[in-house]
Amino acid sequence: MRTFKYICRRLLILIPQVFLISIITFSLVRMLPGDPARLELGPLAPEEGVELLRHQLRLDQPLPQQYIAYLQRVIYGDFGRSWVNSNSVAQDLLVRAPATLELMIAGMLIVLVVMVPIALLSASPSRGWLARAMQRISFGYGLLAGALPDFWLGLVLIFVFFSVLGWAPGPEGRLAIIELPPERVTGFYTIDALLAGDFDTFKSALSHLALPAATLAFVYGAPIFKMVRASMEAALRSDYTIYAEGLGLPRRTVFLWAMRNAAPPTVVVTGVVAGYLLGGAVLIETVFNLNGIGQYAVQSITTADYAPIQGFVLVAAVFTMIVYLIVDLVQFMIDPRLSARAS
Amino acid sequence: MNGYKVDDDRRKQGSSANAARRWAHRIVSGVWSRLSRFDLVVLILFALVLLITAIGPLVTPYPPMFADPLQRLVPPNRAHPFGTDENGIDVLSRLIAAPRTDVLIAVIATTLSLAIGAPLGVVTGYFEGADRRAMRWISEATLRLLDVIQAFPVFILAMVLVAIRGTGPANVVFAVAFVNFPVFLRLVRSEILALREHLYAEAALALGNSELGVGFKHLLPNAWPTVLVQVSVTIGFAVLLTAGLSFVGAGVSPPTPELGAMIASGAKFLVIGQWWVAMFPGLLLGLIVFTFAVMGDVASKLMEPGQHAIASGRLSKNDRITPPAHGESAAPSAKGAVLSLRGLTIEADSRPAVLNGVSFDLMPGEILGVVGLPGSGKSTLVRAIVRLLGYGLRQQAGHVFFRGKDLADLDEKTLRAIRGYEILPLLANPKSQLNPLVRTGDFMVAHIRAHHRSSRREAHARAARMLSTIGIGDAEHWLAAYPHELSGGMAQRVCLAIALVHRPPLIVADEPTAGLDVTVQRQVLDLMIELCHQNGAAQVLATRELGIVAHYCDRVAVLHEGLIVEAGPVRDVLLAPRHAVTRRLIAAADLRAVTAPARTNTSLKIVR
Repeated sequence: MRTFKYICRRLLILIPQVFLISIITFSLVRMLPGDPARLELGPLAPEEGVELLRHQLRLDQPLPQQYIAYLQRVIYGDFGRSWVNSNSVAQDLLVRAPATLELMIAGMLIVLVVMVPIALLSASPSRGWLARAMQRISFGYGLLAGALPDFWLGLVLIFVFFSVLGWAPGPEGRLAIIELPPERVTGFYTIDALLAGDFDTFKSALSHLALPAATLAFVYGAPIFKMVRASMEAALRSDYTIYAEGLGLPRRTVFLWAMRNAAPPTVVVTGVVAGYLLGGAVLIETVFNLNGIGQYAVQSITTADYAPIQGFVLVAAVFTMIVYLIVDLVQFMIDPRLSARAS
Repeated sequence: MNGYKVDDDRRKQGSSANAARRWAHRIVSGVWSRLSRFDLVVLILFALVLLITAIGPLVTPYPPMFADPLQRLVPPNRAHPFGTDENGIDVLSRLIAAPRTDVLIAVIATTLSLAIGAPLGVVTGYFEGADRRAMRWISEATLRLLDVIQAFPVFILAMVLVAIRGTGPANVVFAVAFVNFPVFLRLVRSEILALREHLYAEAALALGNSELGVGFKHLLPNAWPTVLVQVSVTIGFAVLLTAGLSFVGAGVSPPTPELGAMIASGAKFLVIGQWWVAMFPGLLLGLIVFTFAVMGDVASKLMEPGQHAIASGRLSKNDRITPPAHGESAAPSAKGAVLSLRGLTIEADSRPAVLNGVSFDLMPGEILGVVGLPGSGKSTLVRAIVRLLGYGLRQQAGHVFFRGKDLADLDEKTLRAIRGYEILPLLANPKSQLNPLVRTGDFMVAHIRAHHRSSRREAHARAARMLSTIGIGDAEHWLAAYPHELSGGMAQRVCLAIALVHRPPLIVADEPTAGLDVTVQRQVLDLMIELCHQNGAAQVLATRELGIVAHYCDRVAVLHEGLIVEAGPVRDVLLAPRHAVTRRLIAAADLRAVTAPARTNTSLKIVR
């Protein structure tokens, strides 16, 4: 009941937030000099078409009316058309979204499976060889992470693992050029290939995903890594850890219980990072030619294709809001103190 | 009023001159010793980056924007140490010229976002605590608006802003400044909120300054150190953002030397093996960002007095102990004693000893009170007996014998078996001793099973029985509770149950009732002593209250600055104190109130 109430309250906050986001995206294009209808349809569109859209956007009416017209379009999932390839923007985004999501999820998995354990072990005050090695790694990573530009790191990985060693495929997209994508179920090539029982395609999709996901994890995992390490260190030095040691509890238990305390701040940072991931995906998709929504946005910007830009910005902001919502809910569930306060 | 103002101004001038002098003094004397070699490297790098930004384009070996088609894509050689790019321009020359663009854009943009964000932060911070509802509302709305602006991923927002306004350095500056100003607004706001609680803010207000005036004149300057650190970090981030924008073609475009654009143009050659065009700009970019990011830390070290690099102290429980210096303290433990301390000396990093040659014996069932003023070393003594000194403390000399065995000679496993089974700690602030995210029951079950082979269910039943034994009704309810649901007294009762469940021969307690209210204190102590007597457990009871000692202990040791200055049977010491500290403690304690039988107190209450 308490949880239900909290979720309801949190969802209520979402409404004004989404409202504000829509106002901002609406004004972004209105900030441009020139006629929004002409901008959306591109310089090559016939005057009649522009006139029609102008009417549809209620450009002859005052701004509030224009905003309502904009909202109506967005609610019906109509983000306008790209004048470059004359596809519906909503359709374009939908087709490309799985590539971006697959990249982000793979990157976060690497962070979770590889980097978080290293951070946890390096926080341990033990002087064993393992802890020491992890402490060295984490020191080195702390120096590099956050300073290396993601797009450059991606290029260097391509150079080393493709050009020099030949272990990984080049930046040719999500599959080799001659390969056909698996039948679309989820849009995630790895999952769809598995569902179709096509292991060669699965392997290829995975190997094409490896370098971009590693790049994303290396650059955007840094805040998570630092937070895990810092909060774990704090937990291991805290009174309750010393007391648990004093009671002779098994080392494993003490460590695992300390980890519970490192979890809430880590979830918060992970949420913030997940919000940034979309921004990172823009650059990494461009470098690896993954053709997700990030690369779509970059292409639209270079061709001054405004409808996709507007649609992408809206999607990105709503995505971030939803991530923050999930973070709040997860945190509410893992920390009993929060639920106590909420009641 | 006028007089106040003049006075105020003069004082301010005086204090700022003083501050400047002190600052200069600190630089001359202490700064270099505070900086590690790593910090010095960062400082030198920082100076180099600034230098290259300032004079870079003037000192390039080749013109950085002059194409030479005959020299296209030459690998690194003697004439071109970093090779040439696809236009035949020397890469080194472009590298030297490029920071001018990147760093300058980043610095101007960051200054701009600071100039917008900081004043807004002061205003928001002040409005937030204002009396008028409208002001609070404005501040709240500003913050929610920021939430929404920050919901747009930074890079995308910047990219779209540039796309909308067109590429070019000025628009990049605008975009980078716009996406960063919320950072400064939030930072300054939270600093102001924290600082306005200080006394000098109230003093300035009382002198008739306006709220906002105080914010700008008195509080903002105090927020500078924190803000400056953030400025440095943000500049690094802004360099990265500028390069990223240029990389996707939404920033500075060629032929202007710029690192992101250089990487972009080198990207296609990198894939086919001509690595030098894109590799070096990336390295330089990383170096610049790194320098600014770390420079923040170094700057804060320079600005904060007495902020030493924290020594990397380690948990010292496993450290071998140097042999005792004095022959006398090496005497073996007394026969039959549960616990014997011999010349125990504990040192903290680079400070005088916390404990200085403490020795005593504790017989089975005996209760020894350790009293002393705060800071006399009581807690350290208790922790040293359980061998949990924590960070930065070291056992320098001496022995702790438990039943004739030196605890320092035991390996980790044996020590774990003794701790929590034969020696039980009972510590102050019970609520912070229990892991906030572990249910009481899980904690008790783990402790029981750590020392006694039993199933989870048996251990659970035993924990419940133990809670009932010490008088906690509805044991199941409390076993399912998290520590934050327990009152302080209840938490200490739980700890007491934990301490007694294995019927240990020794309990070491450190201010077990501090922070509890007086009646609860009484109940907990009565219970503890009664159960100790039943089990025949010996006890070391550290406290600052002589009343507790007088009422519950057999013997007492007075600890002062790490030394036992007086020890003996409670009656002897309290009736004929020899040391000044003991007399002070006695004078401070209201002995009658505590030594009076517990029943009188309750009956008094009933009468009232």
